[in-house]
Amino acid sequence: MMIEFELNGEKVKIESTLSMRLLDVIRNDFNLTGTKEGCSEGECGACIVFLDDQIVNSCMVPMSNVIGRRIETIEGFSKTERYQIIERAFIEEGAVQCGFCTPGMIMATESILRKGGPITDELIKEGLSGNICRCTGYQTIYNAVQAVLKEVQAHV
Amino acid sequence: MFESFRPNSLKDLLTLIDGRECYKFAGGTDLYIRKRQWQGAERKFDKDVAFIGHLDELRGIERDGYAFHIKACTTQNDVVNSSILPEYIRVPYRLMGNPAIRNTATVGGNIANAAQVADSLPILYATDALLLLKSILGSRIVRIQDFIVGKYRTNLAKNEIIEEVIVPDGNFNGYAYRKIGSRKASILSKLSIFIVYRKENQILEDVRVCIGAVNEIPIRSPEAEKIFLKNHDIEAFLLHLKKMFDAETDKRSTKFYREEVSIRLVRHFLEKILEDGE
Repeated sequence: MMIEFELNGEKVKIESTLSMRLLDVIRNDFNLTGTKEGCSEGECGACIVFLDDQIVNSCMVPMSNVIGRRIETIEGFSKTERYQIIERAFIEEGAVQCGFCTPGMIMATESILRKGGPITDELIKEGLSGNICRCTGYQTIYNAVQAVLKEVQAHV
Repeated sequence: MFESFRPNSLKDLLTLIDGRECYKFAGGTDLYIRKRQWQGAERKFDKDVAFIGHLDELRGIERDGYAFHIKACTTQNDVVNSSILPEYIRVPYRLMGNPAIRNTATVGGNIANAAQVADSLPILYATDALLLLKSILGSRIVRIQDFIVGKYRTNLAKNEIIEEVIVPDGNFNGYAYRKIGSRKASILSKLSIFIVYRKENQILEDVRVCIGAVNEIPIRSPEAEKIFLKNHDIEAFLLHLKKMFDAETDKRSTKFYREEVSIRLVRHFLEKILEDGE
């Protein structure tokens, strides 16, 4: 069936099925391979995208739940100014090792920022709690998010 | 082969499932994984699927004079961020899965799935929550204790859907919650303890104690709670709970660990509840 939704700011149509995973459609039909498949069961966060401004694991979202809604992938988000701040912080803090978890980590970082309000260390940890880094570079990732926060707050 | 359906309304859904056996797919955070396939492949469901996650009629939280009403497809993060619900209802949901999972996993899904490790069940058992079930023939209200039959087994009829979870407002003014797992996020509970109580003028007027993820279904004894309210005898209360244990060693932990830690935690919390203000 024809499924319509918004992908990175553009209205799109795709021939798919209600039960197909959003992750497969993003990667295979739209060739947006920045969104990764890791665990396939919602634990690693490598496949995180925004669905109507909330992060979701795209490996666990059927296309039925995407119809008429807004999806933003790492490719779409990378065109924003805020992405540049996050990217710089990740590079400067050495938060990228093999890089597989990085797109998901960046989306999780952005979701922490989008929540608004005061952001505590505990909230950063909770915000990153659904993302696994097999290189175990958690401390540098955490440092990068703190650096992002400092920069974003300095601009407020 | 299976067929997929996406009804436009609750009424259409009830008509669809009247006579056609379907998986009711809301958030899908458990069901989807169980039907896991290779990358890019269609998931293989062994019966038809009714997708219900988009139905706004099944989403929302309200409060009336007696209870909190949570529609079945309300997400776990909707509960966590609710300004209507008291903290003791929100906290267990806040510790489930991880942020991205909580944005899709639903309140009704965790109940209908009826996993042994379903972390929402202890709070619902402790508060004597009710479920509003609906079919094309009408509605019925059942107690959560009567709905959950065993691990992955419920009393939901094929033509029924959970429409709403009703949590009676017990005017509680204290609670204790502890979830034990190998790590903090994205983890199946080895066990969880949920206690809610009401204390007025330093007198314990109501207390509910529920242990989750140890037996196939949550452990609670309203009779023992009544006796405890009168005699404040923690050890007698624990002895009663011990008799209810029916755990089995599995990949999460040993039977001994789950039972022993449960007892120690309940003892710790009850001592604290009795001490505070005495």
